[in-house]
Amino acid sequence: MTAENGFEIVRDDLLDEDVWLGETSKGLRVRVVPTDRFHEASAIITFRYGSTDLGFRSEGSEHKSPEGVAHYLEHKLFEDEEIQVFQRFAERGAKVNAMTGFTRTSYHFMATDRVLENLDDLLALVSQAHINKENVDKERGIIAQEIRMYEDSADYRLFFDFLSCLFPVHPVRHPVGGTVDSIQAITPEELLTCYAAFYRTGNAAMSVAGPVDPHEIMAAAERCGLEAGGSPDSVWPEDLGPVETARRELTLQIPRHKVYMGVKDRTLVPDAEDRLRRQLVTELLLDRLFSASSEIREDLRQRNVADDSLSSTYMSDFNFGFLLVDCETDDPATAIDGIREALFRPVTIDEDHLERVRRKFLGKYVRSFASVYNLALSQAHEALEGIPPFQSLQRLASVTGDEVVARQQELLRDDSFACVVGLPG
Amino acid sequence: MLTAMADAFAGFRLAEVEGIPVLWKRDRRFKTFRFSLIARRPLDERAAARSLLPSMLLQGTERDPDRPALARRMEMLYGAAVLPSTSKIGESHLLRFSLDSVAGSHVPGEPDLLSDGLDFLGDILARPRLENGEFATGVFRREQVQAAHEVRALFNDKMVYAGQQALSQACAGEPMAIPEHGGVAAIEALQPADPERARADFLQHGQMWGVAMGALPEEGSLERIGAFLTALPARSPEPVGDPVQVEPRPARADVERANVQQAKQVLVYRVPWTNESRTWVARALFASMLGGGPHSRLFREVREKQSLAYYAHAAVDRNKGLLQVHVGLDESAAERVQVETQKQIEELAAGRFEPAELETARAGLLSTLAAIDDSIGDRMEFTSRQWLLQQDRTPEQQAELYASIQQDEVASSMDGVWLDYSYLLAPQATEAKT
Repeated sequence: MTAENGFEIVRDDLLDEDVWLGETSKGLRVRVVPTDRFHEASAIITFRYGSTDLGFRSEGSEHKSPEGVAHYLEHKLFEDEEIQVFQRFAERGAKVNAMTGFTRTSYHFMATDRVLENLDDLLALVSQAHINKENVDKERGIIAQEIRMYEDSADYRLFFDFLSCLFPVHPVRHPVGGTVDSIQAITPEELLTCYAAFYRTGNAAMSVAGPVDPHEIMAAAERCGLEAGGSPDSVWPEDLGPVETARRELTLQIPRHKVYMGVKDRTLVPDAEDRLRRQLVTELLLDRLFSASSEIREDLRQRNVADDSLSSTYMSDFNFGFLLVDCETDDPATAIDGIREALFRPVTIDEDHLERVRRKFLGKYVRSFASVYNLALSQAHEALEGIPPFQSLQRLASVTGDEVVARQQELLRDDSFACVVGLPG
Repeated sequence: MLTAMADAFAGFRLAEVEGIPVLWKRDRRFKTFRFSLIARRPLDERAAARSLLPSMLLQGTERDPDRPALARRMEMLYGAAVLPSTSKIGESHLLRFSLDSVAGSHVPGEPDLLSDGLDFLGDILARPRLENGEFATGVFRREQVQAAHEVRALFNDKMVYAGQQALSQACAGEPMAIPEHGGVAAIEALQPADPERARADFLQHGQMWGVAMGALPEEGSLERIGAFLTALPARSPEPVGDPVQVEPRPARADVERANVQQAKQVLVYRVPWTNESRTWVARALFASMLGGGPHSRLFREVREKQSLAYYAHAAVDRNKGLLQVHVGLDESAAERVQVETQKQIEELAAGRFEPAELETARAGLLSTLAAIDDSIGDRMEFTSRQWLLQQDRTPEQQAELYASIQQDEVASSMDGVWLDYSYLLAPQATEAKT
């Protein structure tokens, strides 16, 4: 690591990449990946504020929000009429967008020219909330249309039904955008209260990757008008107990049955590095069970338990975690029994398998540097979590087969399991 | 065998190897490389067999007898993707055999991942696991059923489904109406010998070319590719004709009812087909002004001012001669959106737009072209499209063409545009409006 004018510079020799780490005088974390490998630059500012942030303590009392407020706020800031955000970015040929997730809201642009002007506009649009009754009411119809579009997706419906089985009270059970009903309760006052609480320098991180000068990026970050301040005292209901609804059915207009099944993670890991390690170990477990090279997956296919539609994922953050397996099937009972049995049967991991998986993950990691957007996004997220750059390969090299086996025993518990069956209707 | 050709095309180097044109560009900015061998055939009744072929080829080879064995070999190549795939471009069917790998220089021991990957690709392409000259019946039947399931499942993505339905109805009787996958009925009618026939047909009669880009080895890339191409059978390529055109006729409309909350509208306009690039560049600018993003007429008028839709996009298809408008909306707004879309097309075609609108559309397209070298996949696709069109232009030259288009050219580029078909996927609960 080296230092230059307020930046720390971290280098990875294998990848031939540098990341510059800094912080503005108001506490906004900044990372820059200056590289001439790309003609395009990508910039992201991300806030630790997502759909699960439905409660926080303020001045001695607890504020509660309706579902969908983080997404609504993203829409309102993003469609700021004062700076005609779309038009100004478009005139410079820049592509701009925003997204809200369970725990984060991010705003980003991609541009081949006039990067600093675009960055000033990006930071300006998150630094002030031009919110009034008229523009909030107008946005409600557009957001309702977006929600209806999502609700037309069988997978979206099944996914959130599955989460509501796992989590009886935790807000991860709610759709990110809320529902058409829940957004009716969102007022200008509510949006301004949440904006004031979460849109602060200490609750955000910014990253820019591409052909840029880190010092100019830092100067732009210093111009950012966000209020100084840290993360609010968010409150989530504790929801680490057994699953209460182990099976549910949902009739949908789908051509075949769909099953969503999996387990709730019953432990939370506050430390970000520990959480990333746990994420990796769980991904190795899923790879052992369900990757294309797995004889376990092939056995499920040969026995007509699960076909090629089978997919698996593990999602976790500081306030929730779950493992999900889904597939289409003509025989949901056989699919659920067979996949559940595969999930719970103790795995073995030999050194050959670990070597293949390490190679595969190394290739995936190197590939992730092929996209300037991925570079900016990953650095913004790592900055927000306080993770140093370039730790992935060390993490991967140190994982053992025993860890994967132990993780399966910890995660796969009978009373953590739930499934949802989508019935063709 | 290498044969001399013009040594550059669209910014790539060009040589004929084993009778096949190969375009390649070594670019050390990247840590990965990609090679694709592409074969083109007309889109016809063999679409189902052709689309089933990639999944059949991934069931095993003479060397790696089953899917886990193939997957393990890919893992040992640092997760290289060694994959066949098919796609539809206008009224053509393309079969791609691609190797997408990290460069050996970025992994321990610096292995020759181009040679290793091409060996593997050669196994999949030329030495699939066959029994008596065809894929095993049991394997074929399972993949046939899987393919039919996957096509039915397209309904789960309403936007894709609506687009597919609209095209198949708008272009009924033309090759364009055939979906890339051939359709459920065609898949279910396949026989075990059909995929192997499709493989032989592609390799023997396909119009074929290779493209490579990225962190290729400093020396010997072309020789390695040549060694791979020797695995191909003797070839007699057949040309693919121009797209079918139809005479203007009264607009047709259909409403399909389904259990959806948000309606999807697809308007299919015909534009006279031409091989003249300047016209298509002007049309791309026209489509961008109409519905190419938040700066466009449809976004500003239909979504923002009149709140008639959640999204509204427009795009031209040069390979067929279509202008398509896709809208997500409440069913009650469908008629008004159609009227407003027609009005905006007429306004633009009459030249009634501000210079700033054109410049914004141009800035977006120029920015995309300026960034095209940042992605191996995008740049290879650009070069392949240039090869298909036999249009030897680099991204920079294409950008110059975009920069030179005048306002009146954009307006007149859509002369002769006509609405052929309107499709609406709408909720079951209410009556049709169109």
